[in-house]
Amino acid sequence: MVGLATTFGSGAMTNDIAGIKAADVILVIGSDTTSAHPVIAARIKQAVRSGKTKLIVIDPKEIRLADYATIYARQRCGTDVAVLNGIMHVILKNGWEAKEFVASRCEGFDALKAEVEKYTPEAVEKISGIPAATLTAIADLFSHAGTGGLFYSMGITQHTTGVDNVKSTANLQMICGNMGKTGGGVNPLRGQSNVQGACDMGGLPNVFPAYQKVGDEAVQAKFDKAWGTKCSVKPGITITEMIDGAITGNVKALYIMGENPVISDPDQHHVQKALEACGFLVVQDMFLTETAKYAHVVLPAAAWAEKDGTFTNTERRVQRLNKAVQAPGEAKSDWEIIQGIANAMGAGWQYANSEAIFEEMRTLTPSYAGMTYDRLGSMGLQWPCPTIEHPGTPVLHREKFTRGLGLMTAIPFKEAAELPDAEYPFVLTTGRVLYQFHTGTMTRKTAGINKLAGPMVMLSDPDAAALGVRNGEKVKVSTRRGNIVTYASVTNKIGKGTVYIPFHYAEAPANRLTIAAVDPVAKIPEFKVCAAKIEKA
Amino acid sequence: MDKQDFDRVISTAIGREIEANEFYADASAKTKDPVLKQTFSKLAGEEMGHMELLEKFRADPGMPFKIDAPKADLKVAEATELPRLSTSMKPADALALAMKKEQQAMEFYRGLSIASSDAGLKTTFDNLANMELGHKNRLETLFVDIGYPEAF
Repeated sequence: MVGLATTFGSGAMTNDIAGIKAADVILVIGSDTTSAHPVIAARIKQAVRSGKTKLIVIDPKEIRLADYATIYARQRCGTDVAVLNGIMHVILKNGWEAKEFVASRCEGFDALKAEVEKYTPEAVEKISGIPAATLTAIADLFSHAGTGGLFYSMGITQHTTGVDNVKSTANLQMICGNMGKTGGGVNPLRGQSNVQGACDMGGLPNVFPAYQKVGDEAVQAKFDKAWGTKCSVKPGITITEMIDGAITGNVKALYIMGENPVISDPDQHHVQKALEACGFLVVQDMFLTETAKYAHVVLPAAAWAEKDGTFTNTERRVQRLNKAVQAPGEAKSDWEIIQGIANAMGAGWQYANSEAIFEEMRTLTPSYAGMTYDRLGSMGLQWPCPTIEHPGTPVLHREKFTRGLGLMTAIPFKEAAELPDAEYPFVLTTGRVLYQFHTGTMTRKTAGINKLAGPMVMLSDPDAAALGVRNGEKVKVSTRRGNIVTYASVTNKIGKGTVYIPFHYAEAPANRLTIAAVDPVAKIPEFKVCAAKIEKA
Repeated sequence: MDKQDFDRVISTAIGREIEANEFYADASAKTKDPVLKQTFSKLAGEEMGHMELLEKFRADPGMPFKIDAPKADLKVAEATELPRLSTSMKPADALALAMKKEQQAMEFYRGLSIASSDAGLKTTFDNLANMELGHKNRLETLFVDIGYPEAF
């Protein structure tokens, strides 16, 4: 979000899902869309099948969408900036850029042009492994699309260069003039169901709801008045900083809701050490997760079908969540638990239901101000939706970028924090499979799903042959952080020298292996690249 | 509506468009922000276009002068506080100021329409109100593009 917010003034997905079919060319980079966002993948497949849309896939894994692609390119993990600079190099060298759009709606073009001049297709081939001719073909196809949409996910963001990667996708879409039109845009696909909503509501260390900045005098006054208290003017800290702080003693207590960092955060041993060191740990979740086992207090939370509220999806669509069944036992909606705790501390909150909270929220969140439960109905509304009369906004930056001019940034390529060496010769990258959801808190309770999709490490045919490993055999995967034993999935869908592990599994946790190096700006960990070795178990 | 009434109404409307043109031209000259400069300059040009349309109507009262209201009144201006004009104002505030001015103009003509008993006058005022609503609508759409930033 930081990268796009800096570039456009808004970090959210710029376009809508319904508009996918309007794209002439779609570029998917760093997103195993079929596995992690199957609904959007289905729309992309439909667009391709309709004959209107051509697809380009750039990913270290030959993902399912590659079967639908006109061009598939496999880059070495962590080389996205070089790849995108290379594509832009070809576009600019041939004069294929959208000159009028660049001149009238963007700034920073000269510096960007000077930087990408260095990234000839041949130079990028050496860095990324993508053949120069393929890179040129991608640039040709994408820049000549009437409308080109770009989609990415954690394959772009979960790097120490995550912000650079994001800004590079934005650079490409600006030089192609693909912003502000249906079917185009920069479309970051969010990692979980309500990540967009959590961020919109101020679930970030430095903002109130609707990204209103902590410390801003007018904003502080607004929230002080609304909430009848003096809100802190000091920004908070990020998750990775909290985990480190629990070890150093700077963080005395942690209250974790609907999150399972023992499985989802990098360097599992480090996380476990932090949770053990934490003076007071509260975990609020629907099951006793791996993280909850470290807690001093566990608060049983209702599941999604057992509570009312809203989820905001990746296309900024606020949708109603309707309670379908009663929560079992003592389990309660999250808001009820939080209100109970706040009142035990003397807050005196008296929200009768989730709608009462939504009503307060929309008075403080200008981009949600025109939404009511009635208006959300069964289809929801996309923000900004500032008044009751406003229909919502499927496409951002139609005539102007939120920040005025789109900011192009010259971005030099930087390598990942930890590269393969003699001791750890493989690149380990992590991700998801279609059948499991995140840390498996919900999906791993179903035996049938576990039979369909259990733990594994994907490795290439030549690497498996060199190791003497056959499909389905147990292997030990080690990094400088630890090791796991899992099953080999031998395939030609991944390149030589790279291995891939889905992170869902407590019995073979990928994040025992990943590195806690973070992007210096966004503080997001580098889940997508670290050095590993493989042995027969 | 007699000719005198017609001239008075159209002259008032033209006067308001000239005033708006001067306001935007002045704001464009004063602001340092390039986006804002461009936006104000464009708005000044649009106001000039409206003025020319009204001049044509004054010269030829028989010409068709039917301005439809936009499909919806988004009422974003009504929900926004009026910012003060300054050389250091943010682009969103500048647009807010512009759409508030269009709202005021729309309300001015609507008020005159309500106060008029003459059917011809009423129609003319309604058309002028629709024209201002159209301007307001366009500015509101622009405002929604830039009025809800994410600050990190």
